[in-house]
Amino acid sequence: MTTTTSSADYKKLRRVFVWELPVRVYHWLNALAIVVLCATGYLIGNPPALMSQSEASFRYLFGTIRFLHFAAAYIFFFNFLFRLYWGFVGNKYASWKNFIPTNKEFFQEMWEVLKIDILLKKEREHMSVGHNALAGFIYFLTFIAFLVQCVTGFGLYAAMSTWWFAELFVWVADWVGGDFTLRNIHHVAMWFFIVFAIIHVYLVFYHDYVEGRGEISSMGGGWKFIEEEAFEKQREGVDAYTNTD
Amino acid sequence: MAQRIVIDPITRIEGHLRIEAEIKNGKVTDVYSSGTMVRGIETIVKGRDPRDVWAFVGRVCGVCTTVHSLASVRAVEDALDIHIPANAELVRNIMFATQYMHDHVVHFYHLHALDWVDVVSALKADPKKTSEIAQSISHWPKSSPGYFSDLQKRLTTFVESGQLGIFANGYWGHPAYKLPPEVNLIGVAHYLEALEWQKEIVKVHTIFGGKNPHPNYLVGGMACSIGIDDASAINAERLALVGQLLRDAETFVQQVYVPDLLAVAPFYLDWGAIGGGLGNFMAYGDLPTNGINDRTQLKFPAGVILDKDLSRVMEVDPRNDDEIREYISRSWYEYSVGDQEGLHPWKGETNIKYSGPKPPYEYLEVEKKYSFLKTPRWKGHAMEVGPLARVLIGYALGREDFKEIVDSTLAKLNVPAAALFSTLGRTAARGLESLLVAQWALEFYDQLISNIRNGDRRMADTSRFDPKNWPKQAQGVGMTEAPRGALAHWIVIEDQKVKNYQMVVPTTWNASPRDHNGKMSAYEASLMDTPIADPHQPVEILRTVHSFDPCLACAVH
Amino acid sequence: MAPVSTKRPTYYEELRGKGYTRRDFMKFCTMMAAYLGLEASGTAQIAKMLMKTPRVPVIWLHFQECTCCSESFIRSSHPIVADIILDKLSLDYTETLMAASGHQAEEAMHQTMKDHYGEYILCVEGSVPTAEGGVYCCIGGKTAEQILQETAAGAKAIICWGSCASNGCVQAAKPNPTSATPIHKLVKGKPIIKVPGCPPIGEVMAGVLVHIITFGTLPELDRVGRPKAFYSKRVHDSCYRRPFYDAGLFVESFDDENAKKGYCLYKVGCKGPMTYNACGIMRWNSGVSYPIQSGHGCFGCSEENFWDNGPIYRQQASFPGFGIESSADKIGMAAAGATAAGIIGHAIATNIQKKKLIANVIREGKESEKEL
Ligand code: HEM
Ligand code: HEM
Ligand code: NFV
Ligand code: SF4
Ligand code: SF4
Ligand code: F3S
Ligand SMILES: [Mg+2]
Repeated sequence: MTTTTSSADYKKLRRVFVWELPVRVYHWLNALAIVVLCATGYLIGNPPALMSQSEASFRYLFGTIRFLHFAAAYIFFFNFLFRLYWGFVGNKYASWKNFIPTNKEFFQEMWEVLKIDILLKKEREHMSVGHNALAGFIYFLTFIAFLVQCVTGFGLYAAMSTWWFAELFVWVADWVGGDFTLRNIHHVAMWFFIVFAIIHVYLVFYHDYVEGRGEISSMGGGWKFIEEEAFEKQREGVDAYTNTD
Repeated sequence: MAQRIVIDPITRIEGHLRIEAEIKNGKVTDVYSSGTMVRGIETIVKGRDPRDVWAFVGRVCGVCTTVHSLASVRAVEDALDIHIPANAELVRNIMFATQYMHDHVVHFYHLHALDWVDVVSALKADPKKTSEIAQSISHWPKSSPGYFSDLQKRLTTFVESGQLGIFANGYWGHPAYKLPPEVNLIGVAHYLEALEWQKEIVKVHTIFGGKNPHPNYLVGGMACSIGIDDASAINAERLALVGQLLRDAETFVQQVYVPDLLAVAPFYLDWGAIGGGLGNFMAYGDLPTNGINDRTQLKFPAGVILDKDLSRVMEVDPRNDDEIREYISRSWYEYSVGDQEGLHPWKGETNIKYSGPKPPYEYLEVEKKYSFLKTPRWKGHAMEVGPLARVLIGYALGREDFKEIVDSTLAKLNVPAAALFSTLGRTAARGLESLLVAQWALEFYDQLISNIRNGDRRMADTSRFDPKNWPKQAQGVGMTEAPRGALAHWIVIEDQKVKNYQMVVPTTWNASPRDHNGKMSAYEASLMDTPIADPHQPVEILRTVHSFDPCLACAVH
Repeated sequence: MAPVSTKRPTYYEELRGKGYTRRDFMKFCTMMAAYLGLEASGTAQIAKMLMKTPRVPVIWLHFQECTCCSESFIRSSHPIVADIILDKLSLDYTETLMAASGHQAEEAMHQTMKDHYGEYILCVEGSVPTAEGGVYCCIGGKTAEQILQETAAGAKAIICWGSCASNGCVQAAKPNPTSATPIHKLVKGKPIIKVPGCPPIGEVMAGVLVHIITFGTLPELDRVGRPKAFYSKRVHDSCYRRPFYDAGLFVESFDDENAKKGYCLYKVGCKGPMTYNACGIMRWNSGVSYPIQSGHGCFGCSEENFWDNGPIYRQQASFPGFGIESSADKIGMAAAGATAAGIIGHAIATNIQKKKLIANVIREGKESEKEL
């Protein structure tokens, strides 16, 4: 090696506390619940073929699968409610403002990210610290999907439950025209979650790899490591994209 | 001067039938038969999964429930070359026979009887004499004087309540009613008994098909598996119930239905010369005993009789493009090839296009299009289908079982064979074939038991249930003999979906409007020259129309 | 003017007229109470009702239908239909059973509409086609809709028999060529009882009528207008094959070994989990069987829109435009596959497009490593 790069070429990284503990706990509970819900939900829709000689009275496999689905569903639902609450009280990276496009800059940033990350237009990384705008917006759509899934799920569950809470949702089936349609909406929505999870996990790895900021571990310890330059810009409140290049 | 009368609704039938008739000098001189309700089910099944179609078309009719489902699964099986197991064939045959007995008995007592039986006159009957008559015609146990007098009391209170319900405004006292009060009372008694009995016989459908009306069928066989060691499949208990029901049904047909028929007929022998109509008869045949494709081994034989010529029975081929065609020149439809052409059902079209008067209307424009029924023709001939056609074809082919019942009945009533071509003949044929069917049902039942005993437990062939195993293009035809006559469904399957679906139904043959040549179909032809005593109470028209057992939901679909 | 109802004898009068004693009458009331699941005190209540109540006049219309609802009705075993039409109701108009035809039939209907205005029960079997001014169903030259409006005006309540009248049934399935329309969409301002099913169970139909004549009130209805007594549970909730469902034991294809053992029919398309009906509890034709017991799945015949709820032999709807074998899962798997492929493409493109950037990061990291 003959290169004599000076340390000044290196980017100085600064540690930023991004994800508070409640957000991290929420994230992993949510991820776990969704994995369980997708797996059990898929099995409910497409039960495996079991040729068993055992008597039905000795088995409760499908009952168990459904129980897991309902248990995970409750965790998923209340965890989700908690996250909504945290969007109002948590730090600025947890704030609801990250998710809902309210101004022109938000859209601009989304476009930038699209160009950089997806279309791979620019040889550059972006500078945001929490969610980037596009990610934030996708999570917003995800939250809507959560809502759809909870409403349709509890709508279906209303017929099987005697708890007043589930029964709050009896109107859902009538509203969509019967349990059959409701079930199909619920089922189709599962695929949104699966596709989301695939892309999401990939992008997390992608960012970690391309940007080298500790993206993956941020959901573990809460820390990200951002460039001094980005830090300064953020502090000045300058938009991370418009005046680079 | 001719007088135009309208009967609409025709009641005690299935569906919406309207008859407009010209009456001159106490006789029908011209007549038009119209079906006034349409649903478009042939259009609705297009693009659907062929395996599901039996359920849709089953809903064509809840009176002859099962027959369209049967025709449909047969059409799909024909198209996909599926051969159902012997047990499934037997179960279908048993269900078929059950349907016949139910449909015919209900028709005779609840839909037809009130044309011949005067309910009000029954109030005047002497219970003792009634009992004597009842016991002279049958061994049926419910025939004591006390039984009839209790019934009469019940009837009296009912009539005196002033709320006549279903009997309100009947043609009671009309001169065309000829039965003595005692026979009328027997008629009313059996009206009520038949009402109770009919809910029993259908349990055969419930066992094999899960419910009645509209039991379930399955492409490839039947869904009711045989599991002689399981509580929830066809086991000894289920079979015992079927056996019991079939035996009870046979008893009812033998001891109530047919004796009543033979007791009433002598009072109405003049109806052996009225209502004959076309003289052309057609049957597709049914009740296979060696697989549906062996057309020589059918309990009900197939064939065509033209011009009352019983010496010659011709063959009918529903696949032949030149034989069966449907015309719409007088029907509220359009064809892409022009309204004067006839189309074979595989190429058939159902484009509804109403062009009649704007409701409310008083008369139809009978010189133009006037019905939602299409007009089917066999080699250009109008055909009568139904019990009379089946019995005549069996008789003309010299089949012993048919000859025996027909000849003995003719002898009992002391009428010539020519009397068969009539309203009375049609009504009698229905009862006579019920006798045959009741016996056959028990034969099928015994065969089913012996198959199971010999270890054959198969009920469905599902090897071609998965659409992946289907050809890209296929077409088939499913034929059956519905209680009202020859029924067939034609299906064209493409890319695993229904490309075209056409049903040509018994009542379509019989009740259709005239064809492109102005030739009448069976109803119109048979109503010509009917004597009418009182144009305001045309019970005579009802007699002949009812003798066909109209089903307009079927006819139009 | 005397109230109309005094013209009609009450059940009690009727029974006495038939020669029954008061004891017989009370016995009947006790049975009726037991049948309706009432406490002993209910007997007196029923007796009181029956002593006051005359035979209720009924007009039963037929529109776009197949008459299987009438057929199902006459299958009722308790009470049997002979008793219903002779003793309990006055079935003044029904095209299936009435003696009179044509003008005489219409006259019978008009008589009831006049004499019992506001008192008769209107039963409707069938849907009403509204396209082309209603020409697709005419009776006596009038459209179904005209007849419906005329008869509904004086009705005390309307019973919609079957799926046809309740939700349009088969003729309303896509593309609904005649614009077949259920009754509740056409008649406003009248109590409407929906009794869906294709057809409904005979005893359910009789039960609805018995409720009305016994208690003099309409049965309690659920959110969508069905009597709670018969439609508050899913077929699945009372299905005797449910233990197999819970155990995960399913029929894989018709007539397989599992079918012979009576396993759950879910995988061959049973819609019991999405269908509200009394089939599992009451069963059909006085309790003999019901679709599932006879080996065929429920296809949801009492649910709104059930004909268009996807293929019969599968749980999931097919997607228009993707062929009959399409389903959410097939499309979902394709989408997931496409996503995975996209990701691989993206990963490769990233390594090419962002070569310099990635190289920098790696260089930085490696150099730091060296420096240590
Ligand atoms: C990410 C979230 C969820 C996913 C991916 C998911 C997925 C699924 C899937 C695929 C099915 C099978 C549907 C079918 O039969 O085709 C299902 C069924 C069901 N889900 Fe969910 N679900 C989720 C959340 C929920 C929630 C929050 C509830 C609320 C209670 C719920 C309740 C139900 C119920 C009641 C069923 C029907 C189970 C049965 O009939 O036995 N689900 N789910
Ligand atoms: C290997 C597994 C995963 C890792 C390393 C991971 C990591 C992360 C990281 C770093 C973020 C913040 C990134 C950003 O804002 O752009 C995040 C956010 C999120 N992740 Fe994951 N994730 C994983 C799996 C999942 C799964 C399976 C799901 C559910 C399907 C999920 C759902 C979410 C959601 C909803 C957010 C937004 C969080 C919020 O702010 O509320 N993650 N994840
Ligand atoms: N016509 C007719 Fe049917 C019969 N039998 C069917 O094919 O009645 Ni509804
Ligand atoms: S609901 Fe079904 S069974 Fe009743 S009339 Fe309609 S199609 Fe026939
Ligand atoms: S057969 Fe149908 S209703 Fe019965 S348990 Fe299985 S899915 Fe449920
Ligand atoms: S198809 Fe209908 S009859 Fe009952 S079991 Fe299902 S609701
Ligand atoms: Mg047709």
